[in-house]
Amino acid sequence: MRKGMRGMLLGVSAVIFIAAAAGNPRPPQGASEPSQAAQPPVGRGGGGAPPPALPTPRLPDGTVNLGRVPGEKGAWRVPYITNMGMRLVGSDGQPLPELRQAQAAGRAAGPGGAAGGDGTGRGGAKAEPWIPWMPWSAAVYDYNSRNNSKYDPEGYCLPPGGPRLMATPYPMEIIQLPESRRIIMIFEGATHIWREIYMDGRPHPEDDALNPTYLGHSVGRWEGDTLVIDVVGFNENSWLDYFGHPHTDKLHVVERFSRPNKNMLHYEATVIDPGAYTRPFTIAWDVPWDANGELQEYICQENNQFLYRLVDDFGQPIFGPRRQPGELPARGGGPR
Amino acid sequence: MMDAKYRMFVMLLIWLALPASVMAQFGHPLDGQWSGQWGPKEKPNRLLLNLDWDGKTVTGVINPGPSAATVKRVTVDYSDTSSWLVKLEAEGKDASGKAVPIVADGRLENIGSYRRILRGTWTQGNQKSEFVLTRN
Repeated sequence: MRKGMRGMLLGVSAVIFIAAAAGNPRPPQGASEPSQAAQPPVGRGGGGAPPPALPTPRLPDGTVNLGRVPGEKGAWRVPYITNMGMRLVGSDGQPLPELRQAQAAGRAAGPGGAAGGDGTGRGGAKAEPWIPWMPWSAAVYDYNSRNNSKYDPEGYCLPPGGPRLMATPYPMEIIQLPESRRIIMIFEGATHIWREIYMDGRPHPEDDALNPTYLGHSVGRWEGDTLVIDVVGFNENSWLDYFGHPHTDKLHVVERFSRPNKNMLHYEATVIDPGAYTRPFTIAWDVPWDANGELQEYICQENNQFLYRLVDDFGQPIFGPRRQPGELPARGGGPR
Repeated sequence: MMDAKYRMFVMLLIWLALPASVMAQFGHPLDGQWSGQWGPKEKPNRLLLNLDWDGKTVTGVINPGPSAATVKRVTVDYSDTSSWLVKLEAEGKDASGKAVPIVADGRLENIGSYRRILRGTWTQGNQKSEFVLTRN
């Protein structure tokens, strides 16, 4: 019996291995994502030549429709924001003046800091003096900069937490369910995940009832034509972005979604984390509408070779057996 | 027979879940539960350390339970992030109930990995040895 059981496990292993080796044409999210050179500028209204400004669609009750018009296709084409430190805006919704100056001088955050890239040659916390760092969060960010985000949890196919959901470059949809007073957001990327936003006026759970999760607990309300979502209850298993801005479980995010016209979603998020930053800051970007967009199936976990080649600071595999002294790394191994 | 199949199924689930269960914690590098040891290699003393970052200070307790030692002070030298020097001061008690100062001078290593390590020199009363703690 034991022999048979071992044989079955080996058989299942072989099937899984063959299935994985068949390959996922898309890279795992995180460190190996291609850069997206054409990012809309920071703040409101960027993005090059605007498409025709069709009016903002609305639901029968007059509420802004943040999703598809019935009978049409479409999805939000979420941009790749690798560094939220370059997306800070002031109370007027415009990029911070010092950030604009740094961008103009081309010295902020190092290569790739403003518009994506692989993060090599990044400047760390000193390159982003507008971020209200605590000493530890600056030090951790420096560490993540030096190793080019090697330990990015999204590279492990773990879900992005907080605003990073709106910065992971795969289509997403917003489905409003006014009859059940909920809004559902579904994401093709970001580990194929969904969010539920309660619109029924409930408060956040308190104390032990608030179970820390990757996405936190979201309650929403409408302020005019803007959907405001208050999120708390994050765990500490995620980063704010690919560049590695850290957060703690004290993170509180206030998101604002608006649709100034049919083709554009404006996203703002105020990051309040007294465990990692000395004061709140707000980040913002636009998300274009893809009129022919539809969500596809994308399973990040499938064939994630990044995970199995990743080694820690001691040169030991993160996953799998630890190497003995003198043993060579596996073929193709090494940090990425 | 049913029992064997059930066991096989459970083992398969555990085997499949292994990679997913391994994850790091990316908040304050000291925050969380640590386990390890100090003292002579032939007769080490086990350590369980719970640390909590409240946004201003790191607080905690060593070996929770009847012989717990409260962490009085934790300092981290952030100025040189290649060394991550940590000093932890606590107060324990000996068998007679007399207060015994504890000082751990160490260094955080491998901070981005789930195998984060804190190691250095442990001084408890008049005893001194190396210690190593791994974040659980």
